[in-house]
Amino acid sequence: MNAILLIARREIGVRGRTKGFRYGMLVTVALVVVLAALPKILGGGDDYTVGLAGQRADRLQAALAAQDAQADDLTVKVKKYAGTAAARKAVAAGEVEAAIVDDTTVISKTTVGSGLSVLLDTAHRIAATEANLAAAGLDPAKVAQAQQVAPLTEQALEGSGEQAAIRQGIALVIVVVLFMLLIQICTWVAMGVVEEKGSRIVEILLTSVRPWQLLAGKIIGLGVLGLSQLIAIAVTGLVAAQVSGSIPELPDGTYALMARVVLWFVLGYAFYGAMFAAIASLVSRQEDVSGVLTPATMTMMVGYLVGFLAVREPDGALAHVLSIVPPFSAMVMPVRSAVSDVPLWETGLAIGLMVLAAAGILALGGTVYRRAVLRTGARVRWREVLRAAS
Amino acid sequence: MLEIDGLRKRYGDLVALDGAGFTVRPGEMFGFVGANGAGKTTTMRIVMGVLEADGGAVRWQGEPVGFATRRRFGYMPEERGLYAKMRVAEQIEYFGRLAGMSPAEARSSADELIERLTLTERRDDEVAGLSLGNQQRVQLAVALVHRPELLVLDEPFSGLDPIAVDALAGVLAERTAAGVPVVFSSHQLDLVERLCDSIGIIKAGRMVAGGTVAELRARESRKLLHIVVTGAAPGWTDRLPGEIVSKTDRPPAGESAETARYDEVVLVPSDDQEALRVAGQAGQVQHFGWQRPSLTEIFREVVA
Ligand SMILES: Nc1ncnc2c1ncn2[C@@H]1O[C@H](COP(=O)(O)OP(=O)(O)O)[C@@H](O)[C@H]1O
Ligand SMILES: [Mg+2]
Repeated sequence: MNAILLIARREIGVRGRTKGFRYGMLVTVALVVVLAALPKILGGGDDYTVGLAGQRADRLQAALAAQDAQADDLTVKVKKYAGTAAARKAVAAGEVEAAIVDDTTVISKTTVGSGLSVLLDTAHRIAATEANLAAAGLDPAKVAQAQQVAPLTEQALEGSGEQAAIRQGIALVIVVVLFMLLIQICTWVAMGVVEEKGSRIVEILLTSVRPWQLLAGKIIGLGVLGLSQLIAIAVTGLVAAQVSGSIPELPDGTYALMARVVLWFVLGYAFYGAMFAAIASLVSRQEDVSGVLTPATMTMMVGYLVGFLAVREPDGALAHVLSIVPPFSAMVMPVRSAVSDVPLWETGLAIGLMVLAAAGILALGGTVYRRAVLRTGARVRWREVLRAAS
Repeated sequence: MLEIDGLRKRYGDLVALDGAGFTVRPGEMFGFVGANGAGKTTTMRIVMGVLEADGGAVRWQGEPVGFATRRRFGYMPEERGLYAKMRVAEQIEYFGRLAGMSPAEARSSADELIERLTLTERRDDEVAGLSLGNQQRVQLAVALVHRPELLVLDEPFSGLDPIAVDALAGVLAERTAAGVPVVFSSHQLDLVERLCDSIGIIKAGRMVAGGTVAELRARESRKLLHIVVTGAAPGWTDRLPGEIVSKTDRPPAGESAETARYDEVVLVPSDDQEALRVAGQAGQVQHFGWQRPSLTEIFREVVA
């Protein structure tokens, strides 16, 4: 146990202090922040500055402020001008986006955007109605009170369109991040195995520790690095999305979803990590690694592509089946859970199968590794390491 | 005491070890000598459990060697292996910890070795940036850090300059003085002769000679006569009885020959008294005596 911890710590220390890892982490986090804030940046935000001139300027201002107060993602700033000419100048100079003058006319450089147009129109209706009712002899205070109407609450039968889009966005990020992290760390595992085998460090190591301890330490150490990256990405992504206002409200169950993604990452990594390690132990030179790993990488690619498709069609036949079959489930199931409601039994079955598969591949990979890692010279053949005799 | 007994190992059709074995006593420096491909590395890898033997036994203090015992052995493999991206001190400590030392023990042992092997200025350098000689010192430190009960070193001196050889030999001598047996293989026979208490010679997977250097000398079948004669007429050596092993007419550097002629002959005599008479008749005999065979000569004869 102690040996495994020592080995894991070495992996974390040595890999974690490489420039590649540090800059990779920084770049990833920066990228996630930009991605998360992007919708808000591109959307330009609902920030308006409006000019007012005319008799009802005060009332219009109050009506605009009321709308501002009711919507989270809307800010309206008001500037008042002495007369039409001043307001016109301000619009021309770009000080304000539009101005209401004479209580009847909207001045703007070009056409007014639909969002702002609705906003101004509503304010105008409120102010004009107030004026009309007051003229008809009603108490202005009561009129103002009567105007206070709570906005409609939304209740969509199939979730709001906006929420579905957010879910798809999250699912897309999940599958890309899972794939990138898995392939990166599993490649590290493979390279580490070949480094030790090729340089014959294993000859010294294996006089002090057992092969399975060496393998477990390596897989756990690099796994911790991968997991910390995953968590850093998830936390920065969610925080950035909320702070920037891209996703003012997370869809229900986002945290549970994140927990599931972590679980799938761990399972997928246990499977692919052991697989990559076993395969890598067959060769002795770094330049032979990518060649022998091709089938394993392809398997991972299949999971990734189907996961990608599942973002749009979570219940398509292929996505449905592969979300349960290991090891593809590691990348397809989290996507499905992100965009649709997966029945509990399907999730349970997928997790159960994946746990079995990962346990099996860990045992098999451990055996292959143990038999192959001390062999020198040419590439070890599968037949030799899989032969029944231990 | 390390006992290696009747080891057998085949690689397919090739018989690498055919009953090889020897014994190393406490505090003994054992030189394991043999031509390329004789089976030295195979033997050492079997001792360290890196390779499984087809037959034979390895015993330490009378008990068969297992994993727990091997953790207390120190090993330097033929193909050197270190983590290129780890720093010197960090690396030595790491291997000490893996062998079961506490952090404090590993640190102090590593510091001691770093000092002893004059790596102090390199302690925080990555191994990849070190010279070959320094890498070899680190490799030795890795083999020594956990204060092993037995040292198994495969060609520890190959590629080292004389200063590094002395540093390494000094450290090994300290360990044998403390009672630790050391087995090392080498091609540098002069070095083996200088350092070792005992020697084993392996040829094609079998031990062909073994014992202390003195014992091996005593067993050397050919007796060599070393003769130096000055002022003799050319051609006198043809009259010497027996087989001439080497012959020169140049005096050793630094000694100027006062006479016109100088002859130095190494002879396997068929009749030593007759040889003395021939030399005496030919000129002034400067030297006439039995020559102790060097390890190189013993090796050549045993392995031939
Ligand atoms: N992995 C291997 N596969 C096949 N033959 C090997 C292998 N390792 C060593 N041999 C052969 O076994 C013999 C002994 O090798 P080795 O023990 O390395 O000799 P030495 O160390 O004395 O030079 C040699 O003929 C060598 O070619
Ligand atoms: Mg060798």
